[in-house]
Amino acid sequence: MLQVRREHRCCDRFAATKTTVRTSRRRLLKDAVFRPQNSGADDPAGLPAPGDLPRAITGTVLDISPHVLVIGSGASDTRITLTAGATAWRGAPLEPAGVQPGDQAVVRLHRTQRGVADRIWANIGRVTGTIIERSGDTLLVDEGTTKPRQVVTIPGRSAGRIQVRFPNLEPGYLIDVIGLRRGGTLEARIPATSQPAYPVDQLPPPAMLPGHVPATISGSATWHEPSEEPPGLLGALYPALDPEAGCAEDPVGGVAPRFMRMPYLAIGSRLVVRNDCTASTCTFPVTGCAAVARLFNDRCVTCGTSPRGRVADLTLASFVALGGELERGCFNATITIGR
Amino acid sequence: MLPPLVTDVQEVQIPLLSAMLLGGCAAKLTRVLRVGSMDAGLGPTALFPMHLRRPVAIAMCAAEFICGVMLLVTIGRFGRGEPANAVRLATGLLFLIATCALIELRTSHPETGCGCFGDFSRSPVSGRTLTRSALLSLAALATIGLPPVHLPRPGAEAGQLLGAAVLELLVLAVLSPELGEALVRLGYSEPCELRRLPAVRTLTALRRSSQWRRRAAVITADVPVDMWRELCWRYVVFPARVGEREAEVVFAVYLRPHRPAIHTALVDAASGGVLAWPTAPARRRGPGWAVPARLARAAAAPARSRRPAAGLVGAVRTGAGRKVPPPGNGSGPGRAAHLPFSRDL
Repeated sequence: MLQVRREHRCCDRFAATKTTVRTSRRRLLKDAVFRPQNSGADDPAGLPAPGDLPRAITGTVLDISPHVLVIGSGASDTRITLTAGATAWRGAPLEPAGVQPGDQAVVRLHRTQRGVADRIWANIGRVTGTIIERSGDTLLVDEGTTKPRQVVTIPGRSAGRIQVRFPNLEPGYLIDVIGLRRGGTLEARIPATSQPAYPVDQLPPPAMLPGHVPATISGSATWHEPSEEPPGLLGALYPALDPEAGCAEDPVGGVAPRFMRMPYLAIGSRLVVRNDCTASTCTFPVTGCAAVARLFNDRCVTCGTSPRGRVADLTLASFVALGGELERGCFNATITIGR
Repeated sequence: MLPPLVTDVQEVQIPLLSAMLLGGCAAKLTRVLRVGSMDAGLGPTALFPMHLRRPVAIAMCAAEFICGVMLLVTIGRFGRGEPANAVRLATGLLFLIATCALIELRTSHPETGCGCFGDFSRSPVSGRTLTRSALLSLAALATIGLPPVHLPRPGAEAGQLLGAAVLELLVLAVLSPELGEALVRLGYSEPCELRRLPAVRTLTALRRSSQWRRRAAVITADVPVDMWRELCWRYVVFPARVGEREAEVVFAVYLRPHRPAIHTALVDAASGGVLAWPTAPARRRGPGWAVPARLARAAAAPARSRRPAAGLVGAVRTGAGRKVPPPGNGSGPGRAAHLPFSRDL
């Protein structure tokens, strides 16, 4: 029987207000040094407020009919119109009316028509980390010290599809799967990437980078489930936080090297993230360290083949707001740093 | 009777083969020492299951070492005849097997390097790598039956031998992708965006700067209230007071260990608006002067009960250039743990 460690380290990093205040303050101070004439603007951070990008709504499905979806998040309920163009996912593509009350849903609103659903994902979950233990078709996965260990089950009907991309479902190897949340367990349905050939303790060192780091870096942008993040948080985990500040999300057992040579940033730094597949662009603050994402040296093939490496691990709301499809796991992205 | 040139070429092979084998073995051992593991999955070991990689890697390394040493031992009269031929045959077979393994590696793991020279052999197996391995195999087999090698006589004979050695080295250099990697490493300088520079060094450089001396009068605390890094700059924020107004002094310090460029700004603590610097700074000594002296006293008398300045950790040099160690364990990443980094967000 797999034992799930629940005493993971908790922190208030994702207290949205605190992050926003710190981000804005740092931006203001930085501008005061380098661009004193522009300081004192209304929005010194230049970051989107959660309400400015309402394309992603998360919550519990309270009611659903062929034409209307009622979704509740905390105290407020939201009525969303369902049109013929809306699609849904609940382990597999289905009609929006197939979503059931009680499901945890992520709804992407239509780009031009507010209040109209574009896509709905019900009970979607993702586990990305290192396999700690295996018992039959059940895996225990470590996602880093700030998250509880995850139990992943691989049902027989999905096993073939997953094992094609993840041949080594043994302790020490990486896994990244998308599936359905059932209580505290993820029922894996889709491999989110291909498994790296190396075990996690034998990562090859990154290639050396001559000259200056380019202003824009392309690669793969992924998403992660909110663990302690407030719903709707817009931000990104970044793979190369300043080592002096440390990475609270590091996997158990020490600091892992990263693959992409990316410039060091801090929490609160700004990233301009562009979805190369939809040409959507948005500026997000760095909200944490993408400790697990930097273990992967994979490519995203959502639209063409991206360069290797994960450049950002977005919050669910950010990923959806940029037009990402959650069940695909990633989109080809280009990030610009420090503007 | 073989022509003298052919004999020269044969005689050159043995030291060259030995150097290649011992060099490869040394590079692999260096990698093991650096990574701390034998089963690194680099090169043909990646073809094997995980549990076999370590023994295969050990066997490869041992075989290279033994063949390399035995080639040198049997180059002269010692072990002449069958033992010397057996060593040369074994070396030829070793390179032959390596060639076959590299062909398989290229097919099944096209992105994996050959690992022949440890970390230097990271580029995927190419035609050059295969050709080199095959040539070395042929070279080893060509030395079978070679009589004991004597030192060449100075003059034409030595020159001929040297010429053959240089020519073969050139061929091997052309066939070795590792050479380019080694040259790149020799001239590599990490971009400032990727350079790791301890925060303590930034603070030390800041406190030695003329910018600090100029602004220290308004700074009211030893401890920065915030510090973060972005690209090539580290930003350090100190609380300050200008008249009755609460303010903050922001330093942007370029990430260079010595004499970094520093920019400053004075901002209102509440609104963040930029303030003008006071025209006639007070003539008192600010924290930038007082702290090193205090720390120096604390280091000189560690038994005293006075607590050291909380914000200064790691090594802070006093005005006399003496290193003042931090309280507690002053090494490793934990030493800057209580600096106001963003981990507290």
